[in-house]
Amino acid sequence: MADADFQRQALQHLDALYNFAVYLTRNPPEADDLVQETYLRAFRFSHRFQPGTHLRAWMFQILRNTFLTFYRLRERETAIAEDGVPDWDVPMFHDTSTDEGGALEAHTDLERAMRHLPEEFRTVLLLAEVQGMPLEEVARVMACPVGTVKSRIFRAKERLRGLLKDYEKK
Amino acid sequence: MSDELRGPDDDALGRRLASELPRYTAPARLRVSLVEATDRPRRPMWLGPLVAAAATALALVLFMLPVLPRIVPADPVQQVVRAVVNEHSRALMWGARQPQILPAGLPWLTQETGIDLRRAFAGDDRLSLVSAEPVYLTRQRGLAVHYRDVDGHLVSYIVLPAERSFTVVERDRVAIDRFRPMLARDSGFVTWIWKQGDVACFLVSDMVSQDDLERFKDYFVRVRVATEPTIAY
Repeated sequence: MADADFQRQALQHLDALYNFAVYLTRNPPEADDLVQETYLRAFRFSHRFQPGTHLRAWMFQILRNTFLTFYRLRERETAIAEDGVPDWDVPMFHDTSTDEGGALEAHTDLERAMRHLPEEFRTVLLLAEVQGMPLEEVARVMACPVGTVKSRIFRAKERLRGLLKDYEKK
Repeated sequence: MSDELRGPDDDALGRRLASELPRYTAPARLRVSLVEATDRPRRPMWLGPLVAAAATALALVLFMLPVLPRIVPADPVQQVVRAVVNEHSRALMWGARQPQILPAGLPWLTQETGIDLRRAFAGDDRLSLVSAEPVYLTRQRGLAVHYRDVDGHLVSYIVLPAERSFTVVERDRVAIDRFRPMLARDSGFVTWIWKQGDVACFLVSDMVSQDDLERFKDYFVRVRVATEPTIAY
């Protein structure tokens, strides 16, 4: 794929990537940086992209890996369960604090509940339900089998429903 | 998603997520900066590997430099001068501090080198004898006598058997007193070169400045007049 073609096609996914970045970082300025870094990496390693495969999944995968590389370092270490997902309700990223500069506020219970999900759960829901990605693409982004994606979606929704019920009671 | 894990609640929650979660669109400035970045001329892909290869080659050359064959001067006099200068450098760095032979050992020196010093300059008010030792330069045995002047300059007097091809170049000769030695400069050192019978004599020092050179001429005269080397056997 020619460089110009690749760049044009990659830029078509900018809004989707930015939306995903905002939900991952919960901070628009950080989302800006994350998206910029994602595109820089994608352009630098464009020769590794195999034409005919899913460019969107490849871009999302770069974004998520970049996020995990750079942002996870800033977060507290958490014990990981066997399937790679923490077993308790403490969110993995950014907790619930919104006192950081530029941090995004949650306006609805659904947003607040999403914010409390661990990253692995939040990501599968965002990719599969919000972006409408096929499970195979989600599996590629998450670098795990499709079965694991299905399991995570199931568990994520269970966790989400539980959180929403708690909010309703309050 | 259509599988066994999905129930009516899941579908409803999925629809809720798709419809109720706000969508964030990329700010215009982000789009502009990315487009500008793509328009910028990019470094050619081959440049990185090329620079890496060049750097590797350079590192290898630097690593191998000590074992690469030196460029040897074609002129036999220059070859000997370079060897003599190297010997002087060695003495300057290490040899003069570890004298092997004192003046009393000159007979042993003759025995070792085959060069007899019938008379030898043993030092005076300007130059003091530091050491004397046998040397092996350009495949020949010879001897070296090292002096140090009052200013701390090391002066090496080296004698080697003169080969047939060894001829003092006329154009480089300098008139000093009644002598006409040849002056050679190499690697930051100056050397007086002259033939005395069957031997080639060299007086080396780092006295390269004009003032130093005048004093070095004086040292030459002192050594030349007081020293008489010959081939012993």
